[in-house]
Amino acid sequence: MARKEYDVLIIGSGHSGGMAANVLTKKGVSCLMLNAGPEVDFSRDRTTKAAHELPYRGFNKPGRLPHVYQANEFNANQWVDEKENPYTYDPGKPYNWVRVRLLGGRSLFWSRQSFRLSDFEFKAADIDGRGDNWPISHADLAPYYSQVESIFRVTGRKEGWPQFPDGNFVESNFTAPESQSIQRLTELCNQRKIGVSRMRSSQGVNGLASSINLLLPDAVATGKLDIVSNAIVREISVDKKTGLVNGAHFVDRHSKREMHAKARVVVVAAGTLESTRLLLNSGLANSSGVMGHYLHDQIYGVSVVASVPEARDGKAPQGLMGGNVFIPRFRNLTKEDKRDFIKGYCMLINSGGGANPNFFAAYGDELQKKLDSYAGSCVSGSIYGERVARFENHVRINKAVTDAWGIPVLHIDVKDSDNELNMAKDAANTMEELFKSAGWEILSKTDKFYPPGYSIHEVGTCRMGDNPKISVLNKWNQSHDIKNLFVVDGSAFVTCGWQNPTMTIVSLSMRASEYLAEQMSQRNL
Amino acid sequence: MKRRRFIKALAAAPAVPALVAQQPLPPQSGRGAGPGGRQTQQEIAQLPLTEAGEIADPVARFFTASQFAALRKLSGILVPPVASYIGALDCDAPEFIDFLVSASPADRQQLYRNGLDALNLQARSKYGKPFADLDATQADAILKPLMATVAWAYDPPKDPVKHFIFQAHQDIRTATRNSIEASTAGASSGRRGLAGAGLFWNPIDPV
Repeated sequence: MARKEYDVLIIGSGHSGGMAANVLTKKGVSCLMLNAGPEVDFSRDRTTKAAHELPYRGFNKPGRLPHVYQANEFNANQWVDEKENPYTYDPGKPYNWVRVRLLGGRSLFWSRQSFRLSDFEFKAADIDGRGDNWPISHADLAPYYSQVESIFRVTGRKEGWPQFPDGNFVESNFTAPESQSIQRLTELCNQRKIGVSRMRSSQGVNGLASSINLLLPDAVATGKLDIVSNAIVREISVDKKTGLVNGAHFVDRHSKREMHAKARVVVVAAGTLESTRLLLNSGLANSSGVMGHYLHDQIYGVSVVASVPEARDGKAPQGLMGGNVFIPRFRNLTKEDKRDFIKGYCMLINSGGGANPNFFAAYGDELQKKLDSYAGSCVSGSIYGERVARFENHVRINKAVTDAWGIPVLHIDVKDSDNELNMAKDAANTMEELFKSAGWEILSKTDKFYPPGYSIHEVGTCRMGDNPKISVLNKWNQSHDIKNLFVVDGSAFVTCGWQNPTMTIVSLSMRASEYLAEQMSQRNL
Repeated sequence: MKRRRFIKALAAAPAVPALVAQQPLPPQSGRGAGPGGRQTQQEIAQLPLTEAGEIADPVARFFTASQFAALRKLSGILVPPVASYIGALDCDAPEFIDFLVSASPADRQQLYRNGLDALNLQARSKYGKPFADLDATQADAILKPLMATVAWAYDPPKDPVKHFIFQAHQDIRTATRNSIEASTAGASSGRRGLAGAGLFWNPIDPV
């Protein structure tokens, strides 16, 4: 029996695939979505438990998920099993690849911090004096950001700062008075010409801002979308006569039976590294030789914690502690700002927490007294810093190792540079100086940060550009080599910025999908 | 009411860090419960079960006798009962650590074995007896120089014995805090959340 040929095959169901399905089906395009994992049922798949009811008393099972620092015994089953789906790296260059294969992908679990990139990222080469610009600017993407912000119900405070473009925010209540500790910090930042703002966040619906509740239901309602779960795509297929892609081979996750689905256009949206792995395994769209290169993300882990003396021993007066602020990038915004690193970082400051026991060289009664004394008196600062996109940081196929379905895995080869180290030092020193100037006692300071990948913001391995010799995709997320192949996830990024990439990924997917639908209607595809 | 049932009823915050910010609300109705849904499952009342930890004693099997004796001594000193908080020896934390380390990768096993041996070695060298037999003053004299401040858990002390003490201290605290005994003590003293309740993800359509 002849099977249906779809207009578009979408590989992946996270935010980027969900947006592609949303846009395309509303324009009458028939779509098939393949997702590598099962559908999640929140009522069936989650249970409230106490730590002592778990086999390892709340510790994760030792040795399970060694690269997912976010994992614990409660959430271990939501992450990709590293034994089932491994990857390789040199021991001296660890990489934390954090994956989810449920329907909806990582959109089920993201932090919902919602920022636009600015032209400090889109045109970074002009500012940094090295690297490459994106082929688009903020103005090109702004209309799509606005639509996405409306769908995701993003809250935020408008500032009018070029490095922190304002969005189409839903009404936000930022009128509550800030605590005195936050006010003090804000004064000090203002004196140093560091802009202080508030977090920007997607409200979504019922606390969830995922493709499965914001994007896919509308697509399904059109009657134009079929979704197949547990379909692990092994290879994108090509029509040998035309050189165009015409579908994909996939393997059933349970039975390992191989199937083939046909489509006129293929949209790859499996997440940066899975998309790149699939394309490399398919041997497609890499005439530039750039595919897999420029892998980068953001540094997390740098932190400083201080204690407000007046708040100690439970004596904090009303209004002294509490609240938080968000400080967008403030380094290297002008050519006069000379640092020993390019690009920048944001800072997140929280007031009112307690001290970590690790901050004290004490135990027993002495430790408990310290913890009680410092409870509620702490101000903590952390950062998200931009890693530089460098050609040598790359992934390649390791044919010697395969996953549980016989598909060759990725070898990841990434190392930090002095730029990341110097940025981290600057961030830790800056937070320490601010807290000390406020008269607070420094309890902890570290300029160390997690291995690459930890942020779960990996991007860049199929980057876009106008020049096909140094980029994989054009400015519409379309392959330079194969016109009916699109890649709409974070792999298209040229630079990641310090920002959570979700709003940009979804906006790019919306923009690419509208372009794709238009090209199909004009019969160019 | 059994302790476990009581604890399940507590709406407490997890003691482990909240690792993902997005926790979707449960749906209004279960899948398949609508007019077209299939409702073929029988309603079967759940039988009351008892946790093994409530009725049986743990058996320590990994460490040698002298290592385990040192671990018990260390646990009692690092995490003693304080005010209404239980101590490590009130909840079999050393026995749990023995089990946890036995199931751990080799580097963690080595860290613990070498660390406990080092405590015994220092105790014999200074006082002519194993660490487990020291009095409080003697044990403090060995432990205090080994305590270190750690700004970031992934950047532990370079000295292997200090690293061991840091790791063991963290583990013993967590094993104590997450025990059923801590939960019960917390409930009876009016504290909530000590034992770390949270949303547990079941295996999702496993292969």
